[in-house]
Amino acid sequence: MIKLDNITVGYGKRPVLKGVTAQIHEGVLTALMGPNGCGKTTLLRTMGGLLQPAEGCVFLDNTPIGQIGARALARQIAYVRQHAQTDFDFSAFETVLMGRNPYQHRLQNESQADWDIVEHCMRQTSTWHLRFAKPDQMSGGELQRVMIARALAQDTPLLLMDEPVSNLDIAHQLEIMHLLRTLGKTVVIVLHDLNLALRFCDDLLLLHEGVLLFHGNVSDGLTPERIQTVYGVSTHREGGHIIFDY
Amino acid sequence: MTSHKNLTHANPWIVASLLVLLLLAMAASCLLGAVDFHARDILQSPIFWQLRLPRVIMSVLVGAVLSVCGAAYQSIFRNPLTDPYVLGVSSGASLGAAVAILLGLEAWLWGVGGMALAAALVTVLFIYRIASIGNRMHTTTLLLTGVCLTLLISAVISFLMVLNQEKMDAIIFWTMGSFGSCAWSDVAAMVPVALVGIGVVLYFGRDLNLLLAGSEAAQSMGVEVEKVKRTLLAVTTLMVAFAVSSCGVIGFVGLIVPHAVRLVVGADNRRVVPYSALCGALFVLVCDTLARTLLRPSELPVGSLTSIIGAPLFIYLLYKNKKSI
Repeated sequence: MIKLDNITVGYGKRPVLKGVTAQIHEGVLTALMGPNGCGKTTLLRTMGGLLQPAEGCVFLDNTPIGQIGARALARQIAYVRQHAQTDFDFSAFETVLMGRNPYQHRLQNESQADWDIVEHCMRQTSTWHLRFAKPDQMSGGELQRVMIARALAQDTPLLLMDEPVSNLDIAHQLEIMHLLRTLGKTVVIVLHDLNLALRFCDDLLLLHEGVLLFHGNVSDGLTPERIQTVYGVSTHREGGHIIFDY
Repeated sequence: MTSHKNLTHANPWIVASLLVLLLLAMAASCLLGAVDFHARDILQSPIFWQLRLPRVIMSVLVGAVLSVCGAAYQSIFRNPLTDPYVLGVSSGASLGAAVAILLGLEAWLWGVGGMALAAALVTVLFIYRIASIGNRMHTTTLLLTGVCLTLLISAVISFLMVLNQEKMDAIIFWTMGSFGSCAWSDVAAMVPVALVGIGVVLYFGRDLNLLLAGSEAAQSMGVEVEKVKRTLLAVTTLMVAFAVSSCGVIGFVGLIVPHAVRLVVGADNRRVVPYSALCGALFVLVCDTLARTLLRPSELPVGSLTSIIGAPLFIYLLYKNKKSI
């Protein structure tokens, strides 16, 4: 579905990602992991066509992503940012409705189908009761779920999510992860919780200092040795869980 | 679900009511002034045809243009404090006008206005040039350069005024804004610019909403961000430049009208832009009518009236809503 062909990406002259090659297959839920500053967000933005790589190329279904127009791309890829905030007062409903933009012509009004999709996505993310709420009336976690609903409303086969569950309580984290499992979409999700990745994800992209250290089955990837290398933390496996040796 | 449908677009009944109110206010404004008319005499009067009607039309157009541009800038820059003059249009125009007044070009048709327009456009192009990195525009740099250049130019204008004290009044009056010298030639230039410009901003209403969510979010939801920003900045700059060059700097309108509208109808630009156009038009019309009738036969600068009337009104709205912008 998405192919990264030896991409190097940087801001200014400093390369953040160095020679990353990987292929994300359809319907696979991939965890993107690594310590702070290792290039997770940069990789995700590059996959979403929001950043141009300095070298190499990103392909979406064999088409270079730079050749796809913004509208067409927005029907293929939805992107959930790490921090969601607006300074102006859109209600949660209006915010989610924005996700329908790639399907609407400028002078066209939202159709009944659009309203129904928005309602469906808000119910899926348990945000329907917040539909009239403004950003300052929502908690960080509620706002985050609204942003996930907006991405779902884009109705794309591919979802790129940058720490979408970091602001959520445990119950909502599990709820969103369960939801992602049942959607049948291709998902690349930045996670920090090793056990959440182990429990819900199929594959793992493990980044370390801008280099792709591992790409493959998540259970094979999260070995105590690799966790030690990447995070500098000592762990062991116990009954399918990763336990930290404090 | 029906409750939401009325929430995204402007309600045609409210738009129609505001339009009728605006037309009534225009008619009333035509009857008032240094000389009051009876409605039946008005069509015979050259004062009506040559002075009052173009002036009333101009105040309506400029009010609409400034408010729409304010709304657009606040969305493009995601900054509630931006007004239509933030990119240096007003200071550029003022400098152009001041130079034209010093050179004695006032007697020429379009002498001061043309010079102001040219200087405004040169100033803004200069600012865009500085803030462009490759083919992207850095909005913070754009705003900061605008603020810096505005300060620099106003210093130059003060300098020019001190050196040419006999022309100081003319320059000061121009920088405070006035519709006193508006003629049909101004209306003829302003009508197409305002109609096309406001039409373009309305057309991009949903894109403006998405820009408020951030450039990156907008792009991932299908907006060609740089293209849309460039188009909107070009169109709004042209509108403001035309407005400023024909009637000087009228402050407060472009900053406050969109906010006042937002406090009442919410943030969706598909409502904010049309309502701002109509409310801004009405507001400037009322202010200009008061400016030329309160102390008749002498005239107050309309720019100070917009602030004197607008500020308390806005503070009242803020107080009533008890929420931050």
